[in-house]
Amino acid sequence: MNAAADCALDMRGISKIFPGVKALSNVNFAVKFGTVHAVVGENGAGKSTLMKVLNGSYAPTSGTIKVGGAEVRMRRPADAQALGIRMVHQEINLVPDLSVAENVYLGRMPGKWSFLRKGEMVRKAAAVLDELGAGINPRERLGDLSISQQQLVEIAKAYAAQPRIIVLDEPTSSLSEHETAALFRILRKMRDDGIAIIYISHRLKEVLEIADEVTVLRDGSMIETRPIAGITAAQMIRLMVGREVSNVFPKSPAEIGKSVLRVERISDGTRFHNVSFDVRAGEILGLTGLVGAGRTEVARAIFGLSRLVEGTVSVNGRKVSINSPSEAVKAGIAYVPEDRKGDGIVPGMSIRENISLPILRRLSRFGRIRRSADRALAADYVKQFSISPPDGERRINLLSGGNQQKAVIAKWLAARPSALILDEPTRGVDVGAKAEIHNIIGQLVAGGMAVVMISSELPEILGVCDRVVVMRDGQASEPLMRGELSEERIMALATGEEAA
Amino acid sequence: MSDAAMEISGVKRNDRFTRGSRLVDALSKAGLAFAILAVALYGSVVSPAFFTSGNLLNVLTSMSIVGIVVVGMTFVLVVGGLADLSVPATIACGAILSLGLQPMIGPLPAFVLAVGLAGLIGLLNGVLVGYVGINPIIATLGIGTIGLGIVQAAVGGVIVYGSNPASAEFAKGRLFGIPVVVLIFLVIALIGHFVLSRSFWGRWTLATGGNYSAAEASAVPVQAVKAGAFVITALTAGISGGLLGLTLQSARPLIGAGYEFSAITAVVVGGVSIIGGFGSVPRAIAGLIFVQLLTNVMVLDGVRTPIQGFVLGILIVGAVGMDAALRKRGVA
Repeated sequence: MNAAADCALDMRGISKIFPGVKALSNVNFAVKFGTVHAVVGENGAGKSTLMKVLNGSYAPTSGTIKVGGAEVRMRRPADAQALGIRMVHQEINLVPDLSVAENVYLGRMPGKWSFLRKGEMVRKAAAVLDELGAGINPRERLGDLSISQQQLVEIAKAYAAQPRIIVLDEPTSSLSEHETAALFRILRKMRDDGIAIIYISHRLKEVLEIADEVTVLRDGSMIETRPIAGITAAQMIRLMVGREVSNVFPKSPAEIGKSVLRVERISDGTRFHNVSFDVRAGEILGLTGLVGAGRTEVARAIFGLSRLVEGTVSVNGRKVSINSPSEAVKAGIAYVPEDRKGDGIVPGMSIRENISLPILRRLSRFGRIRRSADRALAADYVKQFSISPPDGERRINLLSGGNQQKAVIAKWLAARPSALILDEPTRGVDVGAKAEIHNIIGQLVAGGMAVVMISSELPEILGVCDRVVVMRDGQASEPLMRGELSEERIMALATGEEAA
Repeated sequence: MSDAAMEISGVKRNDRFTRGSRLVDALSKAGLAFAILAVALYGSVVSPAFFTSGNLLNVLTSMSIVGIVVVGMTFVLVVGGLADLSVPATIACGAILSLGLQPMIGPLPAFVLAVGLAGLIGLLNGVLVGYVGINPIIATLGIGTIGLGIVQAAVGGVIVYGSNPASAEFAKGRLFGIPVVVLIFLVIALIGHFVLSRSFWGRWTLATGGNYSAAEASAVPVQAVKAGAFVITALTAGISGGLLGLTLQSARPLIGAGYEFSAITAVVVGGVSIIGGFGSVPRAIAGLIFVQLLTNVMVLDGVRTPIQGFVLGILIVGAVGMDAALRKRGVA
């Protein structure tokens, strides 16, 4: 490494052993001040454990940590914060009922004798938000902001503490491409201020764009640290999985049949208006656009989780009126929600209990759930989707994100829908699981299902979809055919900056 | 802990984790069994009256009246409905009507009607909590107060006496040497256990309590399931009240006072999660047995009433604290 003074963080020989398992083994990890250092690896590679060691949440079993050249020993997150280390988590950890300014200074509010100096706090918060170019009013109630704005507040909160090291865990998972670009401007600014930025992401394209260096972890070991200039996405993937993944987005060709799900001029009165599209059997229709454009709202309304005020939905040529998810299921529509933890899984239940939830009544006789049918159903899907560990009795919240998502998809297939709406199905899952999920989707359409896939990830949309509808401000574009798809074209429609 | 489990892939790690949680799980179940045993042992040492059939039958009978409510209350807690505070009103409704209507329509129809009207109170609770979305504490407190008011007005605030000795004989009687009330409690507990653990309604109840939005998005009729838990509780409280009235042969409007807290205490001490999604009828009944035996031993031992309250209070706080701790470790 360079001179100790440049070195914001130097972790050497870090091992973390949980009873019976080695989560980290002899990891060396160093980050320089004024750089963005990406950490990549599949789920389970040890990224989060490493960051929890850095954050003071876990004490390493062995190894040394130097911050700014001095050896430190951290016992709790407060110790890490005192050393100028800040984490921005993937999930938003803010208080929705407090103002933006109060959230930014949560726990460190300026004031004396427990009387808050509110004016000062608002001024300071405004200055920080301005500096970051966030364009957010510090007096606004946090809960009224969009998810992406909340994410910016989270970053502002970390930044306001004047840290030396900031760790960002999947910061773009809820941001659209446009907002990601804004975030990168902020990160570059923080980097130029001399802050060391650790950037954890599954999105390799972003890593290539923002990072100066990248460290690849696999199975708890550090595989390699390289300057970003000397590595390609394909090489990174190879290092992450230890093998070459030839095609990240396998698209299996399927026979496209007649229209299955058709929505005509649907509106919910507030979030989207006049949206029309149709999906045919064997087809994957992409629904993309910036976050907040109304994609999820359209899906939730079709599925009966919210109300339509206008327009019609038909399935297999028959008009249906859907006021609840169970009516949607009866009509043959299934929906895999965006927020897996919040809407997808029941955490205390097993894989089996989660999978059979929508069709329990069908599995029951005289009100009693037929155990054998319940078990067989779960066993089938666990095998078919190679859910790991292959044990239907496992509590679903103990699985990795990718395996949870496979179970959520299985839950809906059990209901035998004719149209499946997937909302960000591969968000926050690792490269391997992503390919598996794409494979599953491919099998489904090959079997004649109609699939609507909502995604913010353009490479995914381009790789998987037959046609794409772009949403902007609650309006949907005409569908683009596969031949006329390009990132530029989609971004132009999504942002309304129609390129010539 | 659960984050860590997700972080490290591989079956080995997960095996250890699940084994760990099974151990804690088994401990939390066995812990209660040990506690019950310990209390029984202590009771038989300090008081010769404890291990007499008379005393134990008394405990069993009074336990059964609360126990019927405990079965219903388990559903309310598991579904994430916090607590049903209208139980005193539904018990009063069951007791007063099943006695008061006897001269008009006969004992059995009076009992059935009383339970049905109690169920109606539960339906009101359920609609307010499940469909309108009012906080259960507020809704059940409000409906309970109104219900009690109506019952009080209907009987003019006086005590209602029974007029059918045969029904009293039945309620106080025994079948195969076991008090009828205890048998009824056992039947209701078995039905409740079956519904919660084996039926689709029970699975829906657990799912709704475990993650309301995910259950909703999984086509579970969450509003009805939530409302249903309050109807079940009101029905059990109505039955409990009816039996209480028949046993005592008199009922005053405040006859059910305190039963809501006894039931909640039992359910919580039994380890049913106060935030929902986890619990079973046998667990709640184990909690009930423990609390009832402890109270009985304290009474026999001459422990003063304020101290008894103190001990029960500590029990509830301890049980809720344990629930929170287990949840943090990803077990419950």
